Amino acid sequence: MKTTGKKSSNTLVRDLVNVGIFGALYLVLSGLGASIGFIPAFIVVSTCMVSLVTSVPLFLFFSKVERPLLCCVLLCTLFGIVMTISGHGISFGLLCVVYGVLAGLCLKLFHKNFVGCLLANVMISFVPSSMMIPLWSSTEEYLAYCSSVCDKAYIAHLAELSSSYWPLIGLFGFGAAGAVVGGFIARRMMKKHFERIGLAQ
Amino acid sequence: MKLDPRTKLFLAAVANGMIFTAPLVYSLLMVAVASILLLLEGKWKFVCIFFFVYLSAGFFFGQVKNLDIGTSGTIILASLFLMYRIMPACVVLYYVVTTTKVNEFLACMSRMHISNKVTIPLIVMIRFFPTVYDEARAIGNAMRMRGIRLFSLRTLKSPVAFLEYRLVPLLVSITKIGDELSIAAVTRGLSAETKRTCVATIGFRWVDFVVCAYCIVVVVMFLLRN
Amino acid sequence: MAISRVVGSVFQNPRSQFFNIDTDCELAFGCENLGMNPEEIKQHVENVVQEFHLEHLLGRSIFNLSGGEKQKIACASVSATGPEIFVLDEPSANLDLKTITDLKEIVSRWKKAGKTVVIVEHRLYYLRDVADRICYVKDGQIAEEWMPAELEAKGAAYAACLGLRCMNLEQLCEGMVRQAHRHDDIASGEIDDIASDKNNVIASEAKQSIIFSNLTFSYHHKHPILDIDRLELPCGQITALIGHNGAGKSTLAQVLCGLLGSWRQKRAARKRGTYLIMQDVNHQLFTESVLDEVLLGMKPQDEKLALEILEGLNLKQYADNHPMALSGGQKQRVAIGSGISSGCDVVVFDEPTSGLDYRQMLAVSATLKKLAASGKTLLVITHDPEFILNSCQSVVRMEHGKVVEQYPLSGNENQLIKTMTGKL
Repeated sequence: MKTTGKKSSNTLVRDLVNVGIFGALYLVLSGLGASIGFIPAFIVVSTCMVSLVTSVPLFLFFSKVERPLLCCVLLCTLFGIVMTISGHGISFGLLCVVYGVLAGLCLKLFHKNFVGCLLANVMISFVPSSMMIPLWSSTEEYLAYCSSVCDKAYIAHLAELSSSYWPLIGLFGFGAAGAVVGGFIARRMMKKHFERIGLAQ
Repeated sequence: MKLDPRTKLFLAAVANGMIFTAPLVYSLLMVAVASILLLLEGKWKFVCIFFFVYLSAGFFFGQVKNLDIGTSGTIILASLFLMYRIMPACVVLYYVVTTTKVNEFLACMSRMHISNKVTIPLIVMIRFFPTVYDEARAIGNAMRMRGIRLFSLRTLKSPVAFLEYRLVPLLVSITKIGDELSIAAVTRGLSAETKRTCVATIGFRWVDFVVCAYCIVVVVMFLLRN
Repeated sequence: MAISRVVGSVFQNPRSQFFNIDTDCELAFGCENLGMNPEEIKQHVENVVQEFHLEHLLGRSIFNLSGGEKQKIACASVSATGPEIFVLDEPSANLDLKTITDLKEIVSRWKKAGKTVVIVEHRLYYLRDVADRICYVKDGQIAEEWMPAELEAKGAAYAACLGLRCMNLEQLCEGMVRQAHRHDDIASGEIDDIASDKNNVIASEAKQSIIFSNLTFSYHHKHPILDIDRLELPCGQITALIGHNGAGKSTLAQVLCGLLGSWRQKRAARKRGTYLIMQDVNHQLFTESVLDEVLLGMKPQDEKLALEILEGLNLKQYADNHPMALSGGQKQRVAIGSGISSGCDVVVFDEPTSGLDYRQMLAVSATLKKLAASGKTLLVITHDPEFILNSCQSVVRMEHGKVVEQYPLSGNENQLIKTMTGKL
């Protein structure tokens, strides 16, 4: 569906409803993907899992909305609102909005072609990756709690983990890698299924 | 005992802020107010279970602290301890989520002059969680009849195919519901331009002031602790 | 925006017309969107609650309501905004016959209040006394226009040839007995003998029946949702499963197919080979082509056999198409094909004819008859008396999780219609 001229208010409502629907789906799927992180060894890889699972719905979302910038910002804002209410700082919520703007801009600049969608997908994959930032930004307090219970070797391990920024980069890197791989899978799925069904152009 | 949603949000924000930044005592102060509020709501069962679990976990950690249990044991213990730290915030969250009706929350958002462009997706999203669950369960049932399972040789061989079977029908039915829903939205007069009103009555009363004052006192105490 | 003040719409599917999770909010939702002030809205909602007798539905989660209750809330919440015109899109598609009477009452109340009501509908009988005018739309134009009495006078055969459902349920069974032979001729030659001497067949095949035992299910020990010790289904026949919304029909279907219940029930179901064709067939189509869909469930994948199955279902020319891109009836046949290929002997259908016109219903009926003739045992959950009279050989009625009665159809048509409409 190609839009020309003035976009009516009906398509705006449709976009808003789509944001709501895919927001719900994104939250559920990212929660499922992140649940692998409950196993401590997989914490760093969990972001990869999240972006792998969510990239197909996101690609469909990108192709369905007519106002990419607005919709991406709203999607990330919704995620931010829910996360803020459920226990992450307000700073995380603001960061979500920033990622949303970036993702929307990517879509807009590339006119929703594959590269644009891929970049937007990577941008949105940074949202779950950022959830772990408190581990690095407020290291001392975090370690203080742990030291009240853990033995010294583990604290040292944690301190090492948090003193170097590699794991943080790893989180983002794995997330982005998952988003890229997921993007290619999503493109295949779009061609294989959704375009043939007529759900996406 | 009805609190304004804004007070509840403030309560949740303070409690969440305390998780990783303040010593345990401050979190417990928040638990105290939340459990009093929960008791006033008549949810004594939840409060009892929470205190039982929380106190026994605290006792357990006190005992285990000085034992040498090796690195792997410590890792498990540390993650358990993280849960233990998060539990106080969970009580507050439980209170906020179970006692706030959706329309009260929306009324509070419209009081805070948040645009329809945020509230409409939010309404749809809250309504949509049960739908996603229902659809996913129906698809899971259909997959079981065909012998496609998560824990099977076939899934191990091709995880992408499993993802495909799971996601494609879900996405198809959900986008269809979405299309129908956006038609229904237009006929129900939902649009971005008009200003919505809300039936739910919200407003600050003396209870709200008491709870807010309490939260502020806790925060001030925390900031001035040195 | 402006149109929603004047026109109120109710849609076919309850799942896609709600915006709230509890009933109170839903009733006020339309008014809130129009920006009325809260006092006014409360007044409106109160009026609507009294008018529709919804006191017992207030403050409940919408997701726990039955289909009929949902449709009532939808009508009431549209009515609350006080539009002059009501548009209803197949409001009865998911309702049982008893609930349809309530719907009829709502419509006549609107009519009495001087509102304009437009109903798009396949089921015509409940509108017989309410409607003032029936328009038949063909190719985007109003091709015919009758008074209800006029259409009824033209007879069932005329309506059937336009693809319309019957106007009068009481007359239905008499007409059906007369027409039975003709339809079976259309459906397939093989079933002729079954249709012509139904009683004989039932008598001779009574020995061969599949017996299900231990069909119980409950969430709480005290309130069993399903409590059936023994259920006997005649082999190679179509059995209709009737009962009002919430009688436990879908639960029975899920337990039969091993989707609910204890592991022992599930294992028994797997051994037996039972397949469920869901009401929303989209849930059970997974692959990218019709052929793959049939191959997916096969244990040794045999393309030749799969093509044979497709041939039997008139789907061979669509073998490479995407299943989701087919029409509703074709999708249903693909799902049936996948059930056959996974080697099931018992196929359970969940409302296969809801929201279909007469012609489409006949097509589904023909498919099912063919399936039964090939030796499968079919159990069909349905609220569609026309379909039952057309294709089923016996009837099982459920109430409160128990089988209340089970009887062969021929000779009991009047009883069937009476129990379904709740007049008995």
